[in-house]
Amino acid sequence: MTGDQLKLRVAAIQDIAPTLRLVRFENADAGPLPPSATGAHLQVVLQAPDKQIRNAYSLISKPGSRDVYEIIVRRVPASRGGSAYIHEQLKTGDLLTTSWPGNLFAPQRSARKHIMIAGGIGITPFLSYVADFANKGIDYELHLCCREEEKDSFAPWLPEPDKVFMHWDADGHRLDIPALLLRQPANTHLYVCGPDFLTDDVLEAAEAGGWPDNHVHCERFGSALSGGEAFRAVLQRSGKQIEVGEHESLLEAIEREGVEVPCLCRGGACGVCLTSVLDGEPQHRDHYLSKTERASGKHIMPCVSRARGGGLLVLDL
Amino acid sequence: MNTTTCDAGHRSELNDRTAPPSMRSRPTYASLSPDMAGREHLLVIEADALQPGQASALSNSFTAIAGALRTVVSGSDLPVPGASVQPDLAATLLAVKARLSGATMQQRVYAIGSEPFIWSIHTAAIEAGLDERQIRLCHSGSLKRRVWCTHCHDTTENVTTNIVACAGCGRHLLVRDHFSRRLGAFMGVQIDAEVPGEVPTTEEVFP
Repeated sequence: MTGDQLKLRVAAIQDIAPTLRLVRFENADAGPLPPSATGAHLQVVLQAPDKQIRNAYSLISKPGSRDVYEIIVRRVPASRGGSAYIHEQLKTGDLLTTSWPGNLFAPQRSARKHIMIAGGIGITPFLSYVADFANKGIDYELHLCCREEEKDSFAPWLPEPDKVFMHWDADGHRLDIPALLLRQPANTHLYVCGPDFLTDDVLEAAEAGGWPDNHVHCERFGSALSGGEAFRAVLQRSGKQIEVGEHESLLEAIEREGVEVPCLCRGGACGVCLTSVLDGEPQHRDHYLSKTERASGKHIMPCVSRARGGGLLVLDL
Repeated sequence: MNTTTCDAGHRSELNDRTAPPSMRSRPTYASLSPDMAGREHLLVIEADALQPGQASALSNSFTAIAGALRTVVSGSDLPVPGASVQPDLAATLLAVKARLSGATMQQRVYAIGSEPFIWSIHTAAIEAGLDERQIRLCHSGSLKRRVWCTHCHDTTENVTTNIVACAGCGRHLLVRDHFSRRLGAFMGVQIDAEVPGEVPTTEEVFP
């Protein structure tokens, strides 16, 4: 349902840790909310004073819940405005526009066992997983790598604490990823969500550990990918020239100019925002285009990718 | 027996094992080599499908992972050190299932033999939770086929002819190249459905 929008009201806000804020939404229109599946996310439009910000957040409310949606947002120091807005300005009763729930990170139903590895706030998609798995009696292990003081913050969403393993950066508490991956039964599926260095470590360990790649799944943080050197883009059909700042994505700059681009994940994974490049050299940062497609330079995913070396991009928009 | 290695083939349109298949579902095979990403390896050999000398060549190509390799030989004995020898396919499947109970993501399975044999091993490995990417198959020996009847859903084993009477319903089935990986069998469809009794000459095409 790309493009369809919801009008939601902030029903409650709760700080569950100094930098973690839970936001509960209810439908501002009449009737139940659209159902959301395990692993789904919501794209939230935040109207900051100077600009509009769209961020994708995993839904942590129980899968299938139609009365409320819940997200947990981490306040990040290098915020592009989204997390700061939610932590500083959002209040109960506010009305927000969001997408319908989308899902690019659904669990594999044929798996015998699920191993989830989360880095910090990367636990959020897995909170809906564990609710679902516990309910159905599905075998899993959740490994959370986080700061020691945050290891209990997510306890209310963890129905089976014996299946959850906390790791932090101290001797005897770090996660030994290769060892974990070596003792899993056939038809285990592996999921990772967290910062790039963790995701890359897990993907490398899985490959070295003989895991077939179709059993390994990751969801990367979009925000880590969106900034970079400032550059200029020409939107050929719209006849517009835009400046893309170093703290915003190409997609955000295009939206700021009022040009619509269909999009879903805003993290370079889904392929919905695929745009034709008429001139200029893209610096690809997505996980969607194939190597050949990247090399051809004919397309770009504006949600994460930019112009190489701050050069000019001419887009078919 | 037309083959000396699993790459050599009987070069007819129907029987070529390595040429691009005329039908997408028709499997093609490469010679067996160990998947170095694996940590535990199981090699299953149909003894009768191998040429003299092929068993030791196979052992040689697996020397790099010999320490982590278990071998099951089905049928007669072969000069493969440390192999568990099983008298027939049924016993072989039991041995394979026992070996794969408790298999990990690092398990790899290799099978060499006729297509009914290797696809029986494939099915056992899938049932044990392995992914297709953890299994390597190589066709060697007879071209005989397992045929699945699209009418009664029964299977007919050891088919070497282009037309066969179904073991389940007795219909005369045309043996097609259309292959089911799930069933490990080729599709058989009634050849005289339009004009009952009009059955072309049966020829041995899968010796």
